[in-house]
Formats: sequence, C-alpha cells, structure tokens
Amino acid sequence: MALNCDRIEIDKGIALNLIPTDKFKSNILSFYFTLPLDRREVTSNALLPLVLRQGTRELTTSLKIQRRLEDLYGCNLSVSVDKKGETHAIRFTIEGPKNSYIGDSNYIKGMIGLLKSIIYDPYLEDGTFSQRYIEQEKEILKRLIEGKINDKRRYAIYRCIEEMCRDEKFGLYPLGYIEDLEDIEARTLYEHYMKLLYRAPLEIFYVGDYDDELKQFMIDDLRFAKDDLIQNERELISKGSQTKNMVYEDMDINQGKLVIGYRTGIPYEDDLYNGLMVASDILGGGPTSKLFRNVREAESLAYYIGTSIYRYKSIMMIDAGIDFDDFERVIEIIRCQIDAMKSGIFTNEDIDISKKSIKASMESIHDSAFLISEYFFSKVLTNDSRSLEESIRDVEKVTRDEIMEASNDMNVDTIYFLRHSGDGGMDNGNY
Amino acid sequence: MGIIENKRIDEKLYFRKLDSGLNIYFMPRKGYMQKYAIFATDYGSNDNHFIPIGEREPIKVPAGVAHFLEHKLFEDEEMDIFDRFSRLGTNVNAYTNANQTAYLCSTTANFYESLQLLIKFVQNPYFTDSNVEKEKGIIEQEIRMYEDSPNWRVYSNCLNGMYVDHPVRIDIAGTVESIQDIDKEVLYQCYNTFYNPSNMVLFIAGDLSFERIVDIVEGTERKDLRKGIEEISRVYPNEPVGIQKQYIEDRLATSIPLFSIGIKDNNLNMMNRELVHKDLVTNILLEILFGDSSEFYNDLYGKGLVDNSFTSYFTGKVDYGYSLVLGQSNEPDRVFDKVLKHIKATKKTGISGEAFRRIKNKNMGGFLMGLNSLSLISSYFIDNYFEGFLFIDVLDILDSIEIGDVNARLVDDIDEETMVLSVVNPMS
Repeated sequence: MALNCDRIEIDKGIALNLIPTDKFKSNILSFYFTLPLDRREVTSNALLPLVLRQGTRELTTSLKIQRRLEDLYGCNLSVSVDKKGETHAIRFTIEGPKNSYIGDSNYIKGMIGLLKSIIYDPYLEDGTFSQRYIEQEKEILKRLIEGKINDKRRYAIYRCIEEMCRDEKFGLYPLGYIEDLEDIEARTLYEHYMKLLYRAPLEIFYVGDYDDELKQFMIDDLRFAKDDLIQNERELISKGSQTKNMVYEDMDINQGKLVIGYRTGIPYEDDLYNGLMVASDILGGGPTSKLFRNVREAESLAYYIGTSIYRYKSIMMIDAGIDFDDFERVIEIIRCQIDAMKSGIFTNEDIDISKKSIKASMESIHDSAFLISEYFFSKVLTNDSRSLEESIRDVEKVTRDEIMEASNDMNVDTIYFLRHSGDGGMDNGNY
Repeated sequence: MGIIENKRIDEKLYFRKLDSGLNIYFMPRKGYMQKYAIFATDYGSNDNHFIPIGEREPIKVPAGVAHFLEHKLFEDEEMDIFDRFSRLGTNVNAYTNANQTAYLCSTTANFYESLQLLIKFVQNPYFTDSNVEKEKGIIEQEIRMYEDSPNWRVYSNCLNGMYVDHPVRIDIAGTVESIQDIDKEVLYQCYNTFYNPSNMVLFIAGDLSFERIVDIVEGTERKDLRKGIEEISRVYPNEPVGIQKQYIEDRLATSIPLFSIGIKDNNLNMMNRELVHKDLVTNILLEILFGDSSEFYNDLYGKGLVDNSFTSYFTGKVDYGYSLVLGQSNEPDRVFDKVLKHIKATKKTGISGEAFRRIKNKNMGGFLMGLNSLSLISSYFIDNYFEGFLFIDVLDILDSIEIGDVNARLVDDIDEETMVLSVVNPMS
C-alpha cells in the first residue's frame, strides 16, 4: 500500500502536503519553517517557538493554551528546532484523536485553529513580544543548552561533530549559544519572527483522514502572503578529512564515550549513496554488524557500538561506550573492520541482511503518522522525487563493488574521547 | 478460541490457551506494515527470593539475575540468534523491568518464521561457563552507562529512599559486584522456575491471521516442559509502611540539580480492575495537582523554580507503588516544600470539578492516540496482563472514574510521612 502525498502550492513559498490514511486513531498537522543554519540566528530560531508557546492573543498564557488542548481531548502540541543538514527546521505540530471517536465533526478545525493561532497570532504587548515571556524563556533555553552534557552519549556525538565541522555551518548546535542569548530582546526577536513568517519557506503536512470540504478549508485557511523568500542552499560536501583531529575531553564519568567522525564525500544525489547506506549498516548497523560482533560479542568491550550516517553532509559517525583503558584496543578493532570493508571482506549474507534491515526500517515509516510527515519533509529538502518503494528498490540494487567503493570513501576526520577527569587535561592534537 | 471486542475503540482481541498452559493474545491491525510479537514472563528483578521448581527451600539469588538471564537467552548452541533474525529482516530485542522480562520482535516481512524463532530461542536456554563469563564485561559496561545518567540515578536513589526491604530498591541490572556471583547454575534454576509456559504470555499485533499464529506456536513450542505447574512461591519481605531515608543526595556530571520526590503508596494488594482503577485515579490526581495545566506548575515555572522537564506519574503494582514528582531546579528543597504544602492545601479544598473533567478528557484522548503505536500497545498489554487485566477495556474504567474517587485517594492515601526527596547535584 503506497503512501500518497497530495502536494499543493497554496501560496508563494507555502506547500500544503496532504497524506490520506485512515489507519491511525488520530490526525496530525505539522508546520515546518526552514532557514539557513547561521550562527547569528540559531539562538533566535530556538527561542522563538518557546516564546510563541507562551500565549496567543486569545489565550494569553501557556496555562490557557494547555487547558484548551485538554479540552480538545488531550491534543498534543509539540515544537522543535532541528538541524536538517545546514538547514534549520522550526517545527510546530498538533495531534489529536479523530472526530469519529469524539463525535464532534468540527473538532479538527478547532485543532487547526489552535495551532495557527500559536504560530500567527501570538500574545503581544505594545506590538511586540512580552519582555517577561522573553526573559523567562531565555532562562529555559539557557538550561536546555547547558543540559546537553546530561546525556553523555548524545553530548559526545555532538561534540565530535562540532570539532569536525568547526568551520562549517553543520558544526552549529541547533539550540544555540548562551552567549548569544544576552542580546536577544523583545524587539529583535519580533523582527526575527517577522522574517520567519514572511520570508522563510514553509511546508505543511497533514496526515490523517479528510474530505474535500476539509481539504478546501485547509487550502483557504492556511494561506499567507510571503515575499522575498530565503533560499536554503545545498550543503558543501567534502571528501577528504578537513581537520585530522584527536580530541580528548574530561568529565567526572564512569564510562568513556568514543566517537569517530568520517567524511565520505558521497552526496545523497549520487547512486553510490545507496552503497554507503548498506556499507554503514554492515559495519555498525545492528547486532550482526561487524563492530557489534567484534567489539561487543567477541571481546565484551562495549554495551553499545554502532554507526550512523548524516545524509545531508555525507558524514558517518561511529560511537561506543567503553572502559577508559580500552580506548586503543577499540580504535584498533574499528580500524581493522573498516579495512575489511574496504577490501571486500564481507559476505553476501552480510549484504542481504543489511538490505533487509534498511528495507524494514524504511517500510516502518508507514506505521507512524509523525514519521510519514518527517519522511515527506526530507524528500522536499533533498528534491527527491522517488517513491518510498523506489528508494527501497535502489537500496536492493546495490552491488558488492558499490559497497566496497563507498567504504573506500570513508576517511577518518576526527576522533573524540570523553574520559574520566584525572586522566590528563583537555588536549587536542593532530595526528 | 475467544474474541473480546471493544466497539468504542474499534478493536478486537483474540485469545487462546494452549495445552502447554501458554496464553496467546492477538490484536489485528489492518493496514499496518509492521508485525509485532512479544513473549513475556511474569518474572523481573524483584523476584530474587523464591522456591525453585521441584525444591522445598527458598533461595536468594544475586541482584541482576533476571536481566542477566535476558541477555543470555540470546545464546544458542547451534545458531547465532541475531544472525537468524537479521536474515529474516526482523528486529529482535528484549527488556527486563522489576516485574517482567520480555522478548520482542518486529518485522515487515517473514513474520511467521520470526515468530517461530522467537519461541524457539526463548524456550531453549544454552548457558555455559564461558558464555556466562563473557557477558559480565558487556553488562558491566551497561551498568556503567546507567551510572553516568543523572536521570537514572535520581530515580534509582529515590526508590532506595522510599523502600526499606522491598527488592524494587535494587537496580534492575544489579551491580558490577553482584553480577560476578552469577553462574550458569543459578541461571538455569531461575529459568526453569519462571520460564514455564503457564507463567508466560505471547502477545501479537499486526495485519495477520490468528489461526496461522496458533498453528505456528503449537508446532514450535516445547512439549517436554512440565504442564500446569503449581503457583510459583515467591518470598517478599515485609516492607514497613515507613521510608528508609527522607533525603538522598548524589553528585554527577550534570548542568543543574535534578530532583525526584517520591511518595510511597501503602494502599496495596489490589489486582485486576481495582488496580487499574487505582492507577488511573492516581495519575489523574497527579496531573491535576502538578500537570502542565495546573496553577501550581505555572506558578513555579513563572518563578523560574522549575522548567518544562517537571513531570509526575504514578506506578502501581500489586505489592508496591509510588508517585513521583520530578524535574530539575536550582532549589530542589524549595520545590519539595511547595509540593508538600500544595498537597496539604488541596486535601482541605478538594480538586476542582472543572480540572477533573479536563484531565479525564485528556486521558481518553491520550489512550486513543497511544493505540497508534504497536510497541506501546504491546507494553501496555503485558503490564496489564500480569495484573489480571486486558488493556482493551481501559477506556471503560476511565469512564467510570468520578471526582470523589480522586479526592478520596488524595485524602486517604497520599501520605506526607512517606515522602522522600532525591537530589543529584552537579559535580562542582
């Protein structure tokens, strides 16, 4: 059963994407605004949805918004800022149970109206944001930024990317920077908000059931006159390593976090990218992968180890939680396993397993309304006109040679190790 | 075979009890690509003191055995289990909590073969001295990973403060020291006692045929296991009403202090609908007191005392239960005082009818939306099943709740004397 998306350009820079399905118990509506990732704007982008969530003209406090959501049978409202390559995506989502379970046919319109008012009709004082809300949410954002150290695994990955892409936009932290918070005030944030509304491209996704009447309602209701649209640019992809860094960082922790960043230089537009997906999966995709078998099962050196690829930048990260003393041993095993990939030491069985695993995870997009929105959004960002079935077929077509070729493009860029304090100071060096 | 239908949520549950004593439940999900199976036993980290099958005297096993056993079941003499699942394009995983151990697989293809494999590997343990030894290093790394997690630590310390003797105070995975005492003998002893089909359940969801599922399971399951074993005899200590420690503090690499306020529940020994009713009532109560739409939360948020990590929930099992109020704050002591005062004040005034209606609505919507996710459905099912309840009827119980139930629960059971505060402070 193929996923269909009815994409309608309802205004300049605004596309409404309708994905009909009746298998879920809820309907979901998401707005994705996109702006180029930029150090001068990331912090404002991150702060904006937090402030907007504080109140609308009608519902002037977050308490009132929350109570309205509860009245609407516990609709979920969520906002996020996310790095999609070097594009910053600011997302507003509302999800609520279907009309039929509630017995109110106008329910969905109430839901749409609420999300719209949060985005377009904020609570203002003297024509700008409330200074009190701004100060309050700056403090919240500051804590979120500081809180990145709390999850050591994610922190280590973020830090490795930051070191690796120090001179690229991709190295930016999507929630922004504490030192940039100070300068943000009601007026400057409001100006930035105007820029987002009037100039940032907007993709709207609706996944659920609808009829012609609701479709027309959305087409009419979600229009907005934009002008002087900002274009998001394709990321620069580099093949060779840029920095050749080895970075150690100390923290009071019990388990070391090793992250290694590789550049592949294989853009997603290239057929070989499918080969990279399979190669990365054979290397560290799951419990049968080379790294899992050799680092965890054969030598009991880690509980987790795996690879992930970052589509928009064509980089690959390997990460593992290990004992401080096993650093060199683990690096050595990883090096050997990558060399094995490069020289074609993997079985046809390995290839088959990885293809099936990638296929299964792509197919499971069908079963989550949120993933369906994210999937179609990524297709827009990457100008990918293939259907999900075609993308799966492209992965299935990958040959052994392509996997080897892609593996040969994996170049180490940065090795990052988060280790226990007292093992030496922070020392960054070249190797 | 039987069918239970709930028209209101438009779902059905098929079930069948096999001769072996194993119960199978199936929820059809038309149009879903994924197919999901979960094979669970009524055995978790709390069950560390029991009479092994065929013996007379109770034994105490090292902390972390149930979890260790979960890891080791993935070992087989002839085949590599992960490999076999991977070849089918199936994800396989497992989890252990205080009360259950569950093995699950999900796939978009080859479901019936995967199901066969799931039954086979869970029913055929293969423990050797060397494979048990090997696992210790892996689990040690897993334990160390949790030791570094401030969220986990603040929670685990909170349980430790609330409970004096009950095993729920011990970490599920045990400690690096306790797992050293685990050997293949104790694993077999636990396995033979708790992995009997009559102590287990199989739940499946997806676009599948129930007849075929039953055929596969009947044709695959082990026939040589003792049938209809007597009730497993578990020994639980007499947990006192009071708490172990009112304040527990720890230090970790974290950006801001984390806190967890625990309130021990002493209204216990419920099963079935009564237990689910209590669970829903308490969660509604907590949401009214501390939820996103409460004056209390919005006041503290406005003052910068808490942020949006602030949350609360109740966990209730037959023999223990607790409410938690948790989050991060620069002044956990002040938050604790305010929580305490708020509880006392609300006991006098009662909760508002308007808030009750709203939160009840919200819970209904939340339950419906939860039904979208097969993995959520499966864990709901398993949780409720071992408490003697089928989750398909949750909405009916929710409907029956009245404001008086919530007020009574607050006044009768939320006992300020059993409140503890666990704090994890930043390193320096």
